[in-house]
Amino acid sequence: MFPVRLSQSYPTLSNSLSESASYRISHRTDYRYESAVAICQNQLRMMPHSIDSPCFSMQCHKAETTISPEPTFFENHFDYFRNQVTSFSIELLHRELTVSVLSEVTVSRKQSVMKLDSPPWEVVRQRITNGENPNWLEAQEYLYDSPRIQRNARFARYAASSFPSGRPVLQATFDLTKRIHQDFRYDSAATDVNTTTDAAFDLKAGVCQDFAHVQIACLRSIGIPARYVSGYLRTIPLEGQPRLVGADESHAWISVYTGEKWGWVSFDPTNACVSDINHIPICTGRDYSEVSPMRGVVIGGGSTQLSVSVDVAPLSRPAEQSRL
Amino acid sequence: MPGSDQYDECRAADGTVRPAWKSLVSSLDELGPAGISKASNEIERLVRESGANFQFSDIIKQSARPWKLAAIPLVLSAREWQSIEAGLKQRLRLLEAILGDLLGEQKLLKARVLPAELLSANYNYFRVYHELPQTKPRLDITATDLARNKDGTWWVTGDRTRAPSGLGYALENRVITSRVFQKLLRGNNVVRVASFFSSLQQHLNSLAAGNPENPRVAILTPGQHSYRYIEDAYLARYLGYTMVQGRDLAVRGSRLNLKTLGGLLPIDVLCRHISDRKSDPLELKPSSQQGATGLLQTIRSGHVAVANSIGSTLAQMPALMPFLPAASKFLFGEEPSLPSIGTYWCGGQSERTFVLENLDELILRPAFHVSPAPPIVPAEMTTAEKSKLIDQIKAQPHSYVAQYRPSRSTTPVWHEGKLESWHVALRSFQVQTASGVEVMPGGLARVSPDPRTLDQSPASGRLGLDCWIANDKPVDQEITLLRQSHSSITLARGGAEMPSRVGESLFWLGRSAERSESIARLLRATLIRIAGETQLQDIVELPRMVAALAALGQLEPDHAIAGLGEKLPSLEKVLPASLFDTEKPGGLLAGIRDMGQKAMSVHDRVSLDAYRIIKKIGDHLITNDQSDAIEIGAVINRLDGIVTDLQAFSGLASESMTRTHGWRFLELGRRIERAYQTAELLSAMLVNPIDDEYPVLESILQTTDSMMTYRSRYLLQMQPTAVIDLLVNDETNPRSIGYQLLMIDQHLRELPSDDHEVSLGTEEKMAREVLHRVTMSDPSKLAQANTRGVRVSLNELLAKLTDSLPDLSDAIAARYLIHTGATVELTGRMAPMASRSGTGVSGPIIPKLPNVE
Repeated sequence: MFPVRLSQSYPTLSNSLSESASYRISHRTDYRYESAVAICQNQLRMMPHSIDSPCFSMQCHKAETTISPEPTFFENHFDYFRNQVTSFSIELLHRELTVSVLSEVTVSRKQSVMKLDSPPWEVVRQRITNGENPNWLEAQEYLYDSPRIQRNARFARYAASSFPSGRPVLQATFDLTKRIHQDFRYDSAATDVNTTTDAAFDLKAGVCQDFAHVQIACLRSIGIPARYVSGYLRTIPLEGQPRLVGADESHAWISVYTGEKWGWVSFDPTNACVSDINHIPICTGRDYSEVSPMRGVVIGGGSTQLSVSVDVAPLSRPAEQSRL
Repeated sequence: MPGSDQYDECRAADGTVRPAWKSLVSSLDELGPAGISKASNEIERLVRESGANFQFSDIIKQSARPWKLAAIPLVLSAREWQSIEAGLKQRLRLLEAILGDLLGEQKLLKARVLPAELLSANYNYFRVYHELPQTKPRLDITATDLARNKDGTWWVTGDRTRAPSGLGYALENRVITSRVFQKLLRGNNVVRVASFFSSLQQHLNSLAAGNPENPRVAILTPGQHSYRYIEDAYLARYLGYTMVQGRDLAVRGSRLNLKTLGGLLPIDVLCRHISDRKSDPLELKPSSQQGATGLLQTIRSGHVAVANSIGSTLAQMPALMPFLPAASKFLFGEEPSLPSIGTYWCGGQSERTFVLENLDELILRPAFHVSPAPPIVPAEMTTAEKSKLIDQIKAQPHSYVAQYRPSRSTTPVWHEGKLESWHVALRSFQVQTASGVEVMPGGLARVSPDPRTLDQSPASGRLGLDCWIANDKPVDQEITLLRQSHSSITLARGGAEMPSRVGESLFWLGRSAERSESIARLLRATLIRIAGETQLQDIVELPRMVAALAALGQLEPDHAIAGLGEKLPSLEKVLPASLFDTEKPGGLLAGIRDMGQKAMSVHDRVSLDAYRIIKKIGDHLITNDQSDAIEIGAVINRLDGIVTDLQAFSGLASESMTRTHGWRFLELGRRIERAYQTAELLSAMLVNPIDDEYPVLESILQTTDSMMTYRSRYLLQMQPTAVIDLLVNDETNPRSIGYQLLMIDQHLRELPSDDHEVSLGTEEKMAREVLHRVTMSDPSKLAQANTRGVRVSLNELLAKLTDSLPDLSDAIAARYLIHTGATVELTGRMAPMASRSGTGVSGPIIPKLPNVE
């Protein structure tokens, strides 16, 4: 049982906002260790990069990573999913570690997603299976189990009422997005970073990561490719708009494959909306395990205090083109 | 027993001996049953002694050699082998090309030659495999499992492309067989395997970036408890490489290093025998401790070459087998000449239907990984089990393959004094070098009377066989693996390259050996008294000796409580039985078991002679006869053997080990333990003196092996002061506490100090302090008892020693031996940190028992 939700209107962002928005994003992570750390080795997936898709695009003007103390070793590469990865190690005794990423981006909505015509969901599925969709190989990668998400009949049953036969895939997915928002309680105490998708589904509670995992599991269980998106939300809402949940830390939502015409389209089950120009995507993968913002191993350190702050401030005009 | 329609390796259907076997069969006829049995026993002995089968049977459960080696080899003609060899080379080229495509362009998927689900539904496929540079072919060493059909053709039953096991055993089989059948091997013109290993060695060396003259190559083994451990050690020793475990490795910057006592040394080539998934906790399986954190980064940086490349596990998935002919046509326009056993991937609609309709004729395996578990056999299932299996296949069709059981040829096996026909499985090995594929002539054969057991796993089967490729003409000269570099060798001394972990094991090996010797001596001295003619209650030193045995951990402390009267008779039973007590953590058996384990964990560092002795020490404690176990005379005999062999072990260490840091740690362990044991002994026996101390003093001198020294100095006079001087203060007596402390101090000075320290290290200060206390003590004062009959000064000194020595041991371990602190995983989200403790110190814990008052 969970408390009845206060009545609230879903933010209908796509119809009332301008076509693009620019942001300065500051993401700071602080670790404070009880005792000195001799060595730490880390991987970051925190850097935005430019994206272009039929419905949405993002331009990255600037992205800077500052690490303190200064890393002994530092390297960047792109991973399989085209996310930018920063690897670094610090090999001198330290008690504090600070990672700051400062970036400036412009996100643009190219289509008003919910007004688009999209194929029936079964057609999307079929054209991938039989290879008629020219992008079938890429799309089918997101159809099967991934480290944190196992498909099963329960998820398929839950998804079924949003996916009656013949319903356009965008409408069906949006309906599923709203149902998850309705049926699941946002509760950061209910789950932790390692909670399985099955457990979150049983609890009907969790945070953005759990909401996204559940929706991806539902979509894959009925044969629709879905992937996990990590990123940020604008911190202070526009006037008259509710403050979005998850705006003060890293956020996560999903992206669904809607056929070759519109490609991947993002939905936010935590906020029951289409991901729009209030959302800034950073990385995509099959689930959280492939995009976690910071992964690392330290030797020593004892107990650790972690603090994270995220600030997403709108810029009145796009920043200078000083991309790194 | 095999039916007559089987292909027999030795004889054709009409009973005539096949040409390749003629020479061997006539030689075996000459030897006769007695000769074959003799050779068979000789082989068994060599296997036992080779160190590859190092276990104390029931006393120490260790990862053991999976099979004994049978005397009669499997023989294949060179002509037949040529065609098998060609097929194996072709297959390896194909697997390499498929793997390259899957991790590259994916043409095979785009053209639907391979189903895309082989990757996308594959839980064993990690996308990070795509993020590594390809600087060499990915498959360096591979193995192929073969079975011979009834018509004499061979088919492949499985591929091993990740880190095939068995290469070490195949080598060992040949080494042993050639020792026993030297002449036969020559007479049959058997193709030698040494050149294959030489190619393997050259290939691994050539992988080092920048082509250094002397690359550092390490074999990464999963650890002591893995079935791979013994053969990895064997292979490392043969190829001259360092065998390492995950905790010996450290990534610094973009380099992979070996942690040694002398500091970090860069590794150029890593031959890894751990799974792809466990190779790097940072980028792959987070909790794994078998690999090295940051390994993938070092590969991306190009400083280390890994064989086989990370990701090569994909090429061995059973689901690939049915698609190989099509892939071969697509990529090379040719058919594979070696067929695979009939395999069906259940992810395909029509294959799944076929499998479900023919379940009883098939066996099932995981589609995406090679499993050590036996296959699923639907024919042996109940109806209920079968319908559950069908549901599972329907729910997860991608995860299953179904296979026909191969039919397997038979070959002669000498078993329990007669010839039998057993079924055979053959594993071949390949190395892919810059110039092409080389196949090991022969391979690892396994035999079993029941062919089905051979399908279970690569380690199943009753016996192992050597496999001979017999030529018509004499073969080339022997190749040895001694380095034949044209440039002069740089002379090196010392042993800074030793992994710190090895130092740690040798340290504890020294301690366990010494501890076992002290207990064995005291136990023997006690039993000799009990076995004598004197009534137990009249042996005045007995309570003191029992107290000392309790202090050393051999007996329960309650045996040591004063008022031993009613307990005395039971001692006659308790003492001999304690020898075989497997439960007591501080007892003799535990000490010897620990010696075995520590020696095992440095398998590649301890000489085979030392192994034989350790094995022999363990053998003294193996008994099936319980009545013998409690017979005092027999037990004393066993203790005599143990003491002698323990001394042989320490003699070997002092005479045959070079004075490297490894030897120093063995010595440090031994000296610390001896000082401690002597302090415990003196404390139990001398702190509360009895009226007539003569027999007590005598038993102390016997136990500490100092009787002869004492007699030579004092003849028959027995004085406590003189005994205390000899065993505490006299720095010329290698049995005295003072001597041990002096040696400890000297060894500590010789160890490398990594920082620019001016003052003494903690452990050096501790060692000097106790040494000083002992040097400054006065034997006559130590021998004085107060009015209540207690030797207060002696008690204080010994208490100081028994307190400080364990701390000293910890300080040495902390400084030199434990480089690995606890590691903690960081995640971005606020959550309690999951902390894992690092590998702590293992080994015997010095029991702290109260002094007897």
